[in-house]
Amino acid sequence: MNGSGNMLRRVAQATRVGIAIVFLIPLVFTILVSLRPETEPVTNGNIFFGSEVTLANFERALVIAPWGLHYLNSIIFVGGTLIVQLVTVTGAAYAFARMRFVGRNLLLMVILLQLMIPSGVLLVQNFRMIQTLGLFDTRVALMIPYWGSAFGVLLLRQTFREVPFELEEAARIDGANLLQVIRHVYVSNAIPAYLAFALVSISTHWNEFLWPFIITRSAEIRPLTVGLNKLIKTTDQGAFYGQLMAGTLIVIAPLVLLFLVFQRQFVESFARSGIR
Amino acid sequence: MRKPSPHRSLISLLQPYVLIAPTLALVLMFNVAPAIRTVTDSLHKPARGLNAAGKPPEYVGLQNFHDLFDEGHYMGARFTRAFRNTIVFALATVGIGVPLGLLLALLLNHQQPLLGLWRFAVFYPSLLPLIGAASIWSFIFSDSIGLANALLKSLGHPGLNWLGDRNLVLLSVAVVNIWKQAGYFMIFFLAGLQNIPRDIYEAASLDGASERQQFAALTLPLLRRTLLFVIVISFIFAFQTVEQLQALGEGGPADSANLLLYLIFQNISERQNWGYVNAMTIVLIGVVLAFTVSNFVLFERDDGNR
Repeated sequence: MNGSGNMLRRVAQATRVGIAIVFLIPLVFTILVSLRPETEPVTNGNIFFGSEVTLANFERALVIAPWGLHYLNSIIFVGGTLIVQLVTVTGAAYAFARMRFVGRNLLLMVILLQLMIPSGVLLVQNFRMIQTLGLFDTRVALMIPYWGSAFGVLLLRQTFREVPFELEEAARIDGANLLQVIRHVYVSNAIPAYLAFALVSISTHWNEFLWPFIITRSAEIRPLTVGLNKLIKTTDQGAFYGQLMAGTLIVIAPLVLLFLVFQRQFVESFARSGIR
Repeated sequence: MRKPSPHRSLISLLQPYVLIAPTLALVLMFNVAPAIRTVTDSLHKPARGLNAAGKPPEYVGLQNFHDLFDEGHYMGARFTRAFRNTIVFALATVGIGVPLGLLLALLLNHQQPLLGLWRFAVFYPSLLPLIGAASIWSFIFSDSIGLANALLKSLGHPGLNWLGDRNLVLLSVAVVNIWKQAGYFMIFFLAGLQNIPRDIYEAASLDGASERQQFAALTLPLLRRTLLFVIVISFIFAFQTVEQLQALGEGGPADSANLLLYLIFQNISERQNWGYVNAMTIVLIGVVLAFTVSNFVLFERDDGNR
Protein backbone atom coordinates (compact mmCIF):
# COMPACT_ATOMS: atom_id res chain seq x y z
CA MET A 1 0.00 0.00 0.00
CA ASN A 2 1.62 3.25 -1.04
CA GLY A 3 1.33 6.58 0.76
CA SER A 4 -1.03 8.30 -1.66
CA GLY A 5 -3.38 5.29 -1.56
CA ASN A 6 -3.58 5.61 2.22
CA MET A 7 -4.24 9.30 1.94
CA LEU A 8 -7.02 8.67 -0.59
CA ARG A 9 -8.57 6.11 1.71
CA ARG A 10 -8.62 8.56 4.59
CA VAL A 11 -10.20 11.27 2.44
CA ALA A 12 -12.79 8.75 1.26
CA GLN A 13 -13.62 7.76 4.83
CA ALA A 14 -13.99 11.39 5.91
CA THR A 15 -16.21 12.16 2.89
CA ARG A 16 -18.34 9.10 3.59
CA VAL A 17 -18.92 10.06 7.22
CA GLY A 18 -19.51 13.71 6.31
CA ILE A 19 -22.10 12.96 3.63
CA ALA A 20 -23.85 10.39 5.81
CA ILE A 21 -24.18 12.92 8.63
CA VAL A 22 -25.51 15.63 6.32
CA PHE A 23 -28.03 13.20 4.80
CA LEU A 24 -29.18 11.98 8.23
CA ILE A 25 -29.62 15.43 9.76
CA PRO A 26 -33.17 15.94 8.42
CA LEU A 27 -34.35 12.58 9.81
CA VAL A 28 -32.60 13.04 13.15
CA PHE A 29 -34.05 16.50 13.64
CA THR A 30 -37.51 15.40 12.56
CA ILE A 31 -37.38 12.94 15.46
CA LEU A 32 -35.83 15.42 17.90
CA VAL A 33 -38.25 18.24 17.08
CA SER A 34 -41.23 15.91 17.34
CA LEU A 35 -40.15 15.08 20.90
CA ARG A 36 -39.44 18.66 22.05
CA PRO A 37 -41.92 20.91 23.81
CA GLU A 38 -43.54 23.12 21.15
CA THR A 39 -42.61 26.24 23.13
CA GLU A 40 -38.89 25.57 22.73
CA PRO A 41 -37.76 25.91 19.10
CA VAL A 42 -34.29 24.65 18.18
CA THR A 43 -33.11 28.24 17.85
CA ASN A 44 -33.73 28.65 21.56
CA GLY A 45 -31.37 26.88 23.97
CA ASN A 46 -30.06 23.34 23.52
CA ILE A 47 -30.29 22.50 19.83
CA PHE A 48 -30.78 18.76 20.36
CA PHE A 49 -33.09 18.30 23.32
CA GLY A 50 -35.50 20.66 25.01
CA SER A 51 -36.12 20.84 28.72
CA GLU A 52 -38.07 17.56 28.52
CA VAL A 53 -38.89 14.73 26.13
CA THR A 54 -42.61 14.80 25.44
CA LEU A 55 -45.20 13.06 23.29
CA ALA A 56 -47.47 16.10 23.35
CA ASN A 57 -46.77 16.85 19.67
CA PHE A 58 -47.93 13.39 18.68
CA GLU A 59 -51.08 13.80 20.75
CA ARG A 60 -51.87 17.08 19.02
CA ALA A 61 -51.05 15.76 15.55
CA LEU A 62 -53.36 12.82 16.19
CA VAL A 63 -56.25 15.17 16.88
CA ILE A 64 -55.86 17.19 13.67
CA ALA A 65 -56.31 14.36 11.18
CA PRO A 66 -57.95 10.92 11.49
CA TRP A 67 -54.66 9.06 11.04
CA GLY A 68 -56.12 5.63 11.71
CA LEU A 69 -58.57 6.15 8.88
CA HIS A 70 -55.85 7.55 6.61
CA TYR A 71 -53.68 4.52 7.38
CA LEU A 72 -56.50 2.20 6.43
CA ASN A 73 -57.14 4.21 3.26
CA SER A 74 -53.48 4.08 2.27
CA ILE A 75 -53.41 0.32 2.83
CA ILE A 76 -56.56 -0.16 0.74
CA PHE A 77 -55.21 2.12 -2.00
CA VAL A 78 -51.82 0.42 -2.14
CA GLY A 79 -53.18 -3.11 -1.70
CA GLY A 80 -56.05 -2.66 -4.14
CA THR A 81 -53.70 -1.24 -6.74
CA LEU A 82 -51.15 -4.03 -6.33
CA ILE A 83 -53.59 -6.96 -6.36
CA VAL A 84 -55.23 -5.89 -9.63
CA GLN A 85 -51.83 -5.04 -11.13
CA LEU A 86 -50.53 -8.53 -10.36
CA VAL A 87 -53.40 -10.07 -12.33
CA THR A 88 -53.31 -7.76 -15.37
CA VAL A 89 -49.52 -7.75 -15.55
CA THR A 90 -49.19 -11.53 -15.31
CA GLY A 91 -51.64 -12.18 -18.15
CA ALA A 92 -50.13 -9.61 -20.48
CA ALA A 93 -46.56 -10.63 -19.64
CA TYR A 94 -47.30 -14.27 -20.45
CA ALA A 95 -49.00 -13.37 -23.74
CA PHE A 96 -46.12 -11.18 -24.85
CA ALA A 97 -43.46 -13.63 -23.66
CA ARG A 98 -44.81 -16.92 -24.99
CA MET A 99 -47.73 -16.50 -27.37
CA ARG A 100 -47.73 -15.73 -31.06
CA PHE A 101 -50.56 -13.57 -32.34
CA VAL A 102 -51.36 -10.97 -34.96
CA GLY A 103 -50.37 -7.44 -33.89
CA ARG A 104 -48.17 -8.57 -31.02
CA ASN A 105 -45.38 -6.05 -31.53
CA LEU A 106 -47.77 -3.21 -32.30
CA LEU A 107 -49.85 -3.85 -29.17
CA LEU A 108 -46.70 -4.06 -27.04
CA MET A 109 -45.64 -0.69 -28.44
CA VAL A 110 -49.01 0.78 -27.50
CA ILE A 111 -48.61 -0.45 -23.92
CA LEU A 112 -45.07 0.94 -23.79
CA LEU A 113 -46.53 4.37 -24.55
CA GLN A 114 -47.32 4.47 -20.83
CA LEU A 115 -43.59 4.74 -20.12
CA MET A 116 -43.21 7.53 -22.65
CA ILE A 117 -46.20 9.57 -21.52
CA PRO A 118 -46.41 8.98 -17.75
CA SER A 119 -49.85 9.56 -16.25
CA GLY A 120 -48.41 12.18 -13.88
CA VAL A 121 -48.03 14.51 -16.83
CA LEU A 122 -51.61 13.83 -17.96
CA LEU A 123 -53.04 15.03 -14.66
CA VAL A 124 -55.63 17.39 -16.11
CA GLN A 125 -57.09 15.08 -18.73
CA ASN A 126 -57.18 12.12 -16.35
CA PHE A 127 -58.97 14.31 -13.83
CA ARG A 128 -61.56 15.03 -16.49
CA MET A 129 -61.72 11.36 -17.52
CA ILE A 130 -62.51 10.37 -13.93
CA GLN A 131 -65.26 13.00 -13.79
CA THR A 132 -66.70 11.75 -17.09
CA LEU A 133 -66.75 8.19 -15.74
CA GLY A 134 -68.56 9.46 -12.65
CA LEU A 135 -65.81 8.12 -10.41
CA PHE A 136 -64.75 11.38 -8.75
CA ASP A 137 -64.14 10.99 -5.01
CA THR A 138 -64.20 7.18 -5.05
CA ARG A 139 -61.57 4.60 -4.14
CA VAL A 140 -61.67 3.19 -7.67
CA ALA A 141 -60.69 6.61 -9.06
CA LEU A 142 -57.52 6.51 -6.95
CA MET A 143 -56.43 3.14 -8.26
CA ILE A 144 -57.75 2.72 -11.78
CA PRO A 145 -55.03 4.62 -13.72
CA TYR A 146 -52.43 2.29 -12.17
CA TRP A 147 -54.20 -1.01 -12.74
CA GLY A 148 -52.33 -1.41 -16.01
CA SER A 149 -48.54 -1.28 -15.64
CA ALA A 150 -46.21 -1.23 -18.63
CA PHE A 151 -43.23 -1.46 -16.28
CA GLY A 152 -44.66 -4.62 -14.72
CA VAL A 153 -45.41 -6.16 -18.12
CA LEU A 154 -41.85 -5.52 -19.31
CA LEU A 155 -40.25 -6.78 -16.10
CA LEU A 156 -42.26 -10.03 -16.02
CA ARG A 157 -42.13 -10.64 -19.77
CA GLN A 158 -38.35 -10.60 -19.45
CA THR A 159 -38.49 -12.97 -16.47
CA PHE A 160 -41.02 -15.35 -18.10
CA ARG A 161 -38.81 -15.64 -21.18
CA GLU A 162 -36.03 -17.02 -19.00
CA VAL A 163 -38.25 -19.84 -17.74
CA PRO A 164 -37.35 -22.96 -19.80
CA PHE A 165 -40.14 -23.72 -22.28
CA GLU A 166 -39.75 -27.45 -21.53
CA LEU A 167 -41.41 -26.82 -18.14
CA GLU A 168 -44.52 -25.54 -19.87
CA GLU A 169 -44.54 -28.48 -22.31
CA ALA A 170 -44.23 -30.94 -19.44
CA ALA A 171 -47.10 -29.29 -17.59
CA ARG A 172 -49.27 -29.37 -20.73
CA ILE A 173 -48.56 -33.06 -21.22
CA ASP A 174 -49.71 -33.57 -17.64
CA GLY A 175 -52.98 -31.95 -18.68
CA ALA A 176 -52.56 -28.48 -17.20
CA ASN A 177 -54.73 -25.75 -18.72
CA LEU A 178 -53.55 -22.22 -19.51
CA LEU A 179 -54.23 -20.74 -16.07
CA GLN A 180 -52.54 -23.67 -14.35
CA VAL A 181 -49.51 -23.33 -16.62
CA ILE A 182 -49.22 -19.62 -15.87
CA ARG A 183 -49.63 -20.15 -12.16
CA HIS A 184 -47.50 -23.21 -11.56
CA VAL A 185 -44.82 -22.82 -14.23
CA TYR A 186 -44.36 -19.08 -14.67
CA VAL A 187 -45.54 -17.31 -11.53
CA SER A 188 -43.84 -19.76 -9.19
CA ASN A 189 -40.57 -19.33 -11.11
CA ALA A 190 -40.69 -15.53 -11.02
CA ILE A 191 -41.14 -14.78 -7.32
CA PRO A 192 -38.10 -12.45 -7.04
CA ALA A 193 -39.38 -10.39 -9.98
CA TYR A 194 -42.83 -10.21 -8.36
CA LEU A 195 -41.24 -9.08 -5.10
CA ALA A 196 -39.29 -6.37 -6.92
CA PHE A 197 -42.43 -5.20 -8.69
CA ALA A 198 -44.43 -5.23 -5.46
CA LEU A 199 -41.87 -3.18 -3.53
CA VAL A 200 -41.71 -0.56 -6.28
CA SER A 201 -45.50 -0.43 -6.60
CA ILE A 202 -46.06 -0.24 -2.84
CA SER A 203 -43.53 2.51 -2.23
CA THR A 204 -44.69 4.51 -5.26
CA HIS A 205 -48.34 4.52 -4.26
CA TRP A 206 -47.83 4.78 -0.52
CA ASN A 207 -45.94 8.01 -1.23
CA GLU A 208 -48.29 9.35 -3.85
CA PHE A 209 -49.84 12.69 -3.07
CA LEU A 210 -51.02 14.77 -6.01
CA TRP A 211 -53.40 12.31 -7.70
CA PRO A 212 -55.24 11.38 -4.46
CA PHE A 213 -55.33 15.06 -3.54
CA ILE A 214 -56.98 16.03 -6.83
CA ILE A 215 -59.30 13.08 -7.27
CA THR A 216 -60.79 12.83 -3.76
CA ARG A 217 -62.63 15.19 -1.45
CA SER A 218 -63.76 13.01 1.46
CA ALA A 219 -61.48 12.28 4.40
CA GLU A 220 -63.16 8.85 4.50
CA ILE A 221 -61.11 7.69 1.49
CA ARG A 222 -58.09 10.01 1.47
CA PRO A 223 -54.67 8.42 2.10
CA LEU A 224 -51.95 9.43 4.58
CA THR A 225 -50.12 11.85 2.30
CA VAL A 226 -53.23 13.97 1.89
CA GLY A 227 -53.70 13.96 5.66
CA LEU A 228 -50.12 15.19 6.02
CA ASN A 229 -50.82 17.99 3.57
CA LYS A 230 -53.70 19.09 5.77
CA LEU A 231 -51.30 19.23 8.70
CA ILE A 232 -48.80 21.26 6.64
CA LYS A 233 -51.52 23.72 5.70
CA THR A 234 -52.78 24.13 9.28
CA THR A 235 -49.23 24.90 10.39
CA ASP A 236 -48.76 28.64 10.47
CA GLN A 237 -45.46 30.01 9.27
CA GLY A 238 -42.95 29.51 12.04
CA ALA A 239 -45.24 27.75 14.48
CA PHE A 240 -46.28 24.21 15.39
CA TYR A 241 -43.35 22.46 13.75
CA GLY A 242 -43.34 19.94 16.57
CA GLN A 243 -46.72 18.56 15.61
CA LEU A 244 -45.88 18.73 11.89
CA MET A 245 -42.73 16.66 12.44
CA ALA A 246 -44.74 14.23 14.57
CA GLY A 247 -47.30 13.88 11.77
CA THR A 248 -44.53 13.45 9.19
CA LEU A 249 -43.05 10.61 11.25
CA ILE A 250 -46.45 8.95 11.47
CA VAL A 251 -46.61 8.95 7.66
CA ILE A 252 -43.05 7.93 6.80
CA ALA A 253 -42.47 5.36 9.56
CA PRO A 254 -43.92 2.25 7.81
CA LEU A 255 -41.78 2.52 4.67
CA VAL A 256 -38.61 3.38 6.58
CA LEU A 257 -39.19 0.35 8.83
CA LEU A 258 -40.03 -1.84 5.80
CA PHE A 259 -36.77 -0.66 4.25
CA LEU A 260 -34.79 -1.56 7.38
CA VAL A 261 -36.16 -5.11 7.12
CA PHE A 262 -35.92 -5.52 3.32
CA GLN A 263 -32.92 -3.25 2.67
CA ARG A 264 -31.30 -5.50 0.10
CA GLN A 265 -34.51 -6.29 -1.79
CA PHE A 266 -35.48 -2.62 -1.87
CA VAL A 267 -32.18 -1.58 -3.40
CA GLU A 268 -32.39 -4.33 -6.00
CA SER A 269 -36.04 -3.55 -6.80
CA PHE A 270 -35.39 0.14 -7.19
CA ALA A 271 -32.44 -0.65 -9.43
CA ARG A 272 -34.77 -2.63 -11.69
CA SER A 273 -37.41 0.11 -11.64
CA GLY A 274 -35.14 2.26 -13.74
CA ILE A 275 -35.24 -0.30 -16.52
CA ARG A 276 -37.39 1.15 -19.21
CA MET B 1 -42.41 -19.85 -29.10
CA ARG B 2 -45.38 -22.22 -28.96
CA LYS B 3 -45.88 -24.36 -32.05
CA PRO B 4 -49.31 -24.09 -33.65
CA SER B 5 -51.15 -27.29 -32.81
CA PRO B 6 -53.80 -28.92 -35.04
CA HIS B 7 -56.63 -28.45 -32.56
CA ARG B 8 -56.20 -24.76 -32.06
CA SER B 9 -59.72 -23.55 -31.69
CA LEU B 10 -61.15 -20.06 -31.93
CA ILE B 11 -60.90 -19.78 -28.15
CA SER B 12 -57.18 -20.39 -28.13
CA LEU B 13 -56.76 -17.88 -30.94
CA LEU B 14 -58.48 -15.29 -28.80
CA GLN B 15 -56.58 -16.21 -25.62
CA PRO B 16 -53.65 -13.77 -26.04
CA TYR B 17 -56.00 -10.88 -26.70
CA VAL B 18 -58.02 -11.67 -23.59
CA LEU B 19 -54.82 -11.77 -21.55
CA ILE B 20 -53.58 -8.37 -22.70
CA ALA B 21 -57.01 -6.72 -22.92
CA PRO B 22 -57.11 -5.22 -19.39
CA THR B 23 -53.66 -3.65 -19.62
CA LEU B 24 -54.32 -2.44 -23.15
CA ALA B 25 -57.70 -0.94 -22.27
CA LEU B 26 -56.26 0.88 -19.24
CA VAL B 27 -53.32 2.29 -21.19
CA LEU B 28 -55.68 3.46 -23.94
CA MET B 29 -57.98 5.07 -21.37
CA PHE B 30 -55.46 6.76 -19.10
CA ASN B 31 -52.47 7.40 -21.36
CA VAL B 32 -53.30 7.36 -25.06
CA ALA B 33 -56.78 8.92 -25.06
CA PRO B 34 -55.83 11.70 -22.61
CA ALA B 35 -52.72 12.44 -24.68
CA ILE B 36 -54.83 12.79 -27.83
CA ARG B 37 -57.38 14.96 -26.04
CA THR B 38 -54.55 17.12 -24.72
CA VAL B 39 -53.55 17.78 -28.31
CA THR B 40 -57.06 18.66 -29.50
CA ASP B 41 -57.90 20.72 -26.39
CA SER B 42 -54.65 22.65 -26.76
CA LEU B 43 -55.95 23.90 -30.13
CA HIS B 44 -59.20 25.20 -28.63
CA LYS B 45 -60.29 27.97 -26.30
CA PRO B 46 -63.31 27.68 -24.01
CA ALA B 47 -66.24 29.79 -25.14
CA ARG B 48 -66.53 33.15 -23.42
CA GLY B 49 -69.39 35.35 -22.28
CA LEU B 50 -72.96 34.62 -21.23
CA ASN B 51 -74.13 31.02 -21.47
CA ALA B 52 -70.53 30.02 -22.18
CA ALA B 53 -71.04 26.79 -20.27
CA GLY B 54 -73.29 25.40 -23.00
CA LYS B 55 -71.27 26.54 -25.99
CA PRO B 56 -68.62 24.33 -27.60
CA PRO B 57 -64.99 25.45 -27.35
CA GLU B 58 -63.69 27.50 -30.22
CA TYR B 59 -60.92 26.25 -32.52
CA VAL B 60 -57.99 28.68 -32.36
CA GLY B 61 -55.16 26.81 -34.07
CA LEU B 62 -51.81 27.42 -32.40
CA GLN B 63 -52.99 30.63 -30.70
CA ASN B 64 -52.66 29.11 -27.21
CA PHE B 65 -49.01 28.23 -27.84
CA HIS B 66 -48.42 31.67 -29.27
CA ASP B 67 -49.86 33.25 -26.12
CA LEU B 68 -47.77 31.02 -23.87
CA PHE B 69 -44.53 32.25 -25.40
CA ASP B 70 -45.68 35.89 -25.32
CA GLU B 71 -44.34 37.42 -22.12
CA GLY B 72 -46.83 40.27 -22.38
CA HIS B 73 -49.74 37.84 -22.09
CA TYR B 74 -51.03 37.12 -18.56
CA MET B 75 -50.54 33.37 -18.95
CA GLY B 76 -47.47 33.74 -21.16
CA ALA B 77 -45.70 35.69 -18.42
CA ARG B 78 -46.37 32.90 -15.93
CA PHE B 79 -45.53 30.11 -18.39
CA THR B 80 -42.24 31.57 -19.62
CA ARG B 81 -41.12 32.11 -16.04
CA ALA B 82 -42.08 28.59 -15.00
CA PHE B 83 -40.49 27.13 -18.13
CA ARG B 84 -37.24 28.99 -17.53
CA ASN B 85 -37.29 27.97 -13.87
CA THR B 86 -37.86 24.35 -14.84
CA ILE B 87 -34.83 24.35 -17.13
CA VAL B 88 -32.60 26.00 -14.51
CA PHE B 89 -33.96 23.62 -11.88
CA ALA B 90 -33.33 20.58 -14.10
CA LEU B 91 -29.77 21.66 -14.92
CA ALA B 92 -29.01 22.30 -11.24
CA THR B 93 -30.46 19.07 -9.88
CA VAL B 94 -28.95 16.93 -12.66
CA GLY B 95 -25.61 18.76 -12.56
CA ILE B 96 -25.20 18.21 -8.83
CA GLY B 97 -27.37 15.16 -8.13
CA VAL B 98 -25.85 12.85 -10.74
CA PRO B 99 -22.17 13.44 -9.85
CA LEU B 100 -23.12 13.12 -6.17
CA GLY B 101 -24.81 9.80 -6.89
CA LEU B 102 -21.67 8.61 -8.67
CA LEU B 103 -19.47 9.77 -5.80
CA LEU B 104 -21.66 7.91 -3.30
CA ALA B 105 -21.46 4.73 -5.38
CA LEU B 106 -17.65 4.95 -5.54
CA LEU B 107 -17.49 5.48 -1.77
CA LEU B 108 -19.89 2.67 -0.93
CA ASN B 109 -18.96 0.04 -3.52
CA HIS B 110 -16.60 -2.04 -1.41
CA GLN B 111 -17.17 -4.18 1.66
CA GLN B 112 -16.39 -2.07 4.70
CA PRO B 113 -17.41 -1.62 8.32
CA LEU B 114 -20.87 -0.02 8.76
CA LEU B 115 -21.66 -0.32 5.04
CA GLY B 116 -25.34 -0.93 5.84
CA LEU B 117 -25.51 2.24 7.91
CA TRP B 118 -23.85 4.37 5.21
CA ARG B 119 -26.17 3.01 2.53
CA PHE B 120 -29.22 3.57 4.71
CA ALA B 121 -28.10 7.14 5.41
CA VAL B 122 -27.99 8.08 1.74
CA PHE B 123 -30.80 5.89 0.40
CA TYR B 124 -33.63 6.46 2.90
CA PRO B 125 -34.58 9.89 1.46
CA SER B 126 -35.64 8.28 -1.82
CA LEU B 127 -38.18 6.17 0.09
CA LEU B 128 -39.95 9.12 1.67
CA PRO B 129 -43.08 10.59 0.13
CA LEU B 130 -42.20 13.84 -1.61
CA ILE B 131 -44.77 15.62 0.50
CA GLY B 132 -43.16 14.19 3.67
CA ALA B 133 -39.66 15.17 2.55
CA ALA B 134 -40.92 18.64 1.72
CA SER B 135 -42.59 18.83 5.10
CA ILE B 136 -39.31 18.02 6.87
CA TRP B 137 -37.43 20.61 4.85
CA SER B 138 -40.13 23.23 5.40
CA PHE B 139 -39.05 23.04 9.05
CA ILE B 140 -35.34 23.17 8.22
CA PHE B 141 -35.90 26.21 5.99
CA SER B 142 -38.35 27.90 8.34
CA ASP B 143 -37.60 31.59 8.61
CA SER B 144 -37.69 32.16 12.36
CA ILE B 145 -37.03 28.79 13.99
CA GLY B 146 -35.55 26.62 11.23
CA LEU B 147 -32.41 24.56 11.50
CA ALA B 148 -30.67 26.23 8.53
CA ASN B 149 -31.01 29.65 10.09
CA ALA B 150 -30.08 28.34 13.54
CA LEU B 151 -26.82 27.20 11.96
CA LEU B 152 -26.29 30.51 10.16
CA LYS B 153 -26.99 32.47 13.34
CA SER B 154 -24.49 30.42 15.32
CA LEU B 155 -21.95 31.50 12.68
CA GLY B 156 -22.90 35.14 13.19
CA HIS B 157 -25.02 35.47 10.03
CA PRO B 158 -28.50 37.02 10.48
CA GLY B 159 -30.15 34.16 8.59
CA LEU B 160 -31.94 33.88 5.24
CA ASN B 161 -35.57 33.79 4.18
CA TRP B 162 -35.21 30.43 2.38
CA LEU B 163 -38.81 30.00 1.29
CA GLY B 164 -39.74 33.68 0.97
CA ASP B 165 -36.83 35.25 -0.88
CA ARG B 166 -37.47 35.04 -4.62
CA ASN B 167 -33.79 34.30 -5.30
CA LEU B 168 -33.63 31.46 -2.79
CA VAL B 169 -36.82 29.43 -3.05
CA LEU B 170 -35.87 27.53 -6.18
CA LEU B 171 -32.46 26.79 -4.68
CA SER B 172 -34.12 25.44 -1.54
CA VAL B 173 -36.35 23.13 -3.59
CA ALA B 174 -33.30 21.99 -5.59
CA VAL B 175 -31.46 21.11 -2.36
CA VAL B 176 -34.39 18.92 -1.30
CA ASN B 177 -34.46 17.19 -4.69
CA ILE B 178 -30.73 16.50 -4.70
CA TRP B 179 -30.91 15.11 -1.15
CA LYS B 180 -33.86 12.94 -2.11
CA GLN B 181 -32.49 11.54 -5.39
CA ALA B 182 -28.74 11.11 -4.92
CA GLY B 183 -29.17 7.75 -3.15
CA TYR B 184 -31.53 6.52 -5.86
CA PHE B 185 -29.04 7.42 -8.58
CA MET B 186 -26.32 5.75 -6.50
CA ILE B 187 -27.92 2.32 -6.88
CA PHE B 188 -27.71 2.49 -10.68
CA PHE B 189 -24.02 3.39 -10.43
CA LEU B 190 -23.48 0.59 -7.90
CA ALA B 191 -25.08 -1.85 -10.34
CA GLY B 192 -22.86 -0.46 -13.11
CA LEU B 193 -19.72 -0.79 -10.97
CA GLN B 194 -20.56 -4.41 -10.09
CA ASN B 195 -20.54 -5.22 -13.81
CA ILE B 196 -16.95 -4.10 -14.24
CA PRO B 197 -14.64 -7.12 -13.93
CA ARG B 198 -12.23 -6.89 -10.98
CA ASP B 199 -9.22 -8.20 -12.87
CA ILE B 200 -8.92 -5.24 -15.24
CA TYR B 201 -8.08 -3.11 -12.19
CA GLU B 202 -5.51 -5.63 -11.05
CA ALA B 203 -3.93 -5.53 -14.48
CA ALA B 204 -3.92 -1.72 -14.41
CA SER B 205 -2.35 -1.70 -10.95
CA LEU B 206 0.40 -4.05 -12.11
CA ASP B 207 1.05 -1.64 -14.97
CA GLY B 208 1.54 1.09 -12.35
CA ALA B 209 -1.66 3.09 -12.94
CA SER B 210 -2.66 5.26 -9.96
CA GLU B 211 -6.20 5.15 -8.58
CA ARG B 212 -6.96 8.45 -10.25
CA GLN B 213 -5.69 7.17 -13.60
CA GLN B 214 -7.72 4.00 -13.18
CA PHE B 215 -10.86 6.05 -12.55
CA ALA B 216 -10.34 8.23 -15.62
CA ALA B 217 -9.18 5.47 -17.98
CA LEU B 218 -11.29 2.51 -16.81
CA THR B 219 -14.18 3.27 -14.45
CA LEU B 220 -15.61 6.33 -16.15
CA PRO B 221 -15.57 4.97 -19.72
CA LEU B 222 -17.04 1.65 -18.56
CA LEU B 223 -19.79 3.48 -16.67
CA ARG B 224 -20.65 5.63 -19.67
CA ARG B 225 -23.86 3.72 -20.39
CA THR B 226 -25.08 3.99 -16.79
CA LEU B 227 -24.09 7.62 -16.63
CA LEU B 228 -26.09 8.50 -19.75
CA PHE B 229 -29.07 6.55 -18.47
CA VAL B 230 -29.07 8.28 -15.07
CA ILE B 231 -28.70 11.70 -16.69
CA VAL B 232 -31.70 11.03 -18.92
CA ILE B 233 -33.99 9.80 -16.13
CA SER B 234 -32.94 12.62 -13.82
CA PHE B 235 -33.94 15.16 -16.48
CA ILE B 236 -37.30 13.38 -16.84
CA PHE B 237 -37.81 13.51 -13.05
CA ALA B 238 -36.81 17.17 -12.85
CA PHE B 239 -39.37 18.19 -15.46
CA GLN B 240 -42.10 16.36 -13.54
CA THR B 241 -41.30 18.04 -10.21
CA VAL B 242 -44.53 19.12 -8.57
CA GLU B 243 -45.44 17.69 -5.18
CA GLN B 244 -42.58 19.30 -3.22
CA LEU B 245 -43.75 22.76 -4.18
CA GLN B 246 -46.98 22.23 -2.28
CA ALA B 247 -45.03 22.40 1.00
CA LEU B 248 -42.08 24.54 -0.14
CA GLY B 249 -43.27 27.98 -1.11
CA GLU B 250 -46.06 26.98 -3.53
CA GLY B 251 -44.12 28.33 -6.51
CA GLY B 252 -43.94 31.83 -5.13
CA PRO B 253 -43.40 34.63 -4.49
CA ALA B 254 -44.78 35.84 -7.84
CA ASP B 255 -43.95 32.54 -9.63
CA SER B 256 -40.25 33.10 -8.91
CA ALA B 257 -39.94 29.42 -8.00
CA ASN B 258 -42.82 28.00 -9.99
CA LEU B 259 -42.27 24.94 -12.14
CA LEU B 260 -44.17 23.75 -15.19
CA LEU B 261 -46.22 20.91 -13.74
CA TYR B 262 -47.13 22.90 -10.63
CA LEU B 263 -48.37 25.76 -12.79
CA ILE B 264 -50.52 23.25 -14.69
CA PHE B 265 -51.83 21.88 -11.39
CA GLN B 266 -52.63 25.40 -10.14
CA ASN B 267 -54.85 25.96 -13.18
CA ILE B 268 -56.57 22.58 -13.22
CA SER B 269 -59.93 24.06 -12.20
CA GLU B 270 -59.64 27.38 -14.03
CA ARG B 271 -62.09 26.78 -16.86
CA GLN B 272 -61.05 29.85 -18.85
CA ASN B 273 -57.43 28.60 -18.92
CA TRP B 274 -58.25 25.10 -20.16
CA GLY B 275 -56.66 25.67 -23.57
CA TYR B 276 -53.46 26.98 -21.96
CA VAL B 277 -53.31 24.14 -19.47
CA ASN B 278 -53.40 21.64 -22.33
CA ALA B 279 -50.90 23.59 -24.41
CA MET B 280 -48.53 23.63 -21.42
CA THR B 281 -49.03 19.90 -21.01
CA ILE B 282 -48.08 19.41 -24.67
CA VAL B 283 -44.84 21.31 -24.10
CA LEU B 284 -44.13 19.17 -21.04
CA ILE B 285 -44.94 15.93 -22.87
CA GLY B 286 -42.70 17.06 -25.71
CA VAL B 287 -39.74 17.51 -23.38
CA VAL B 288 -40.32 14.25 -21.49
CA LEU B 289 -40.84 12.36 -24.74
CA ALA B 290 -37.63 13.74 -26.23
CA PHE B 291 -35.65 12.42 -23.26
CA THR B 292 -37.46 9.08 -23.20
CA VAL B 293 -37.00 8.51 -26.91
CA SER B 294 -33.31 9.35 -26.67
CA ASN B 295 -33.18 6.80 -23.85
CA PHE B 296 -34.70 4.13 -26.11
CA VAL B 297 -32.44 5.06 -29.01
CA LEU B 298 -29.33 4.98 -26.80
CA PHE B 299 -30.06 1.68 -25.09
CA GLU B 300 -32.58 -0.40 -27.04
CA ARG B 301 -29.91 -2.03 -29.18
CA ASP B 302 -28.14 -3.47 -26.14
CA ASP B 303 -31.41 -4.70 -24.64
CA GLY B 304 -32.06 -6.81 -27.71
CA ASN B 305 -28.92 -8.81 -26.98
CA ARG B 306 -29.59 -9.39 -23.34
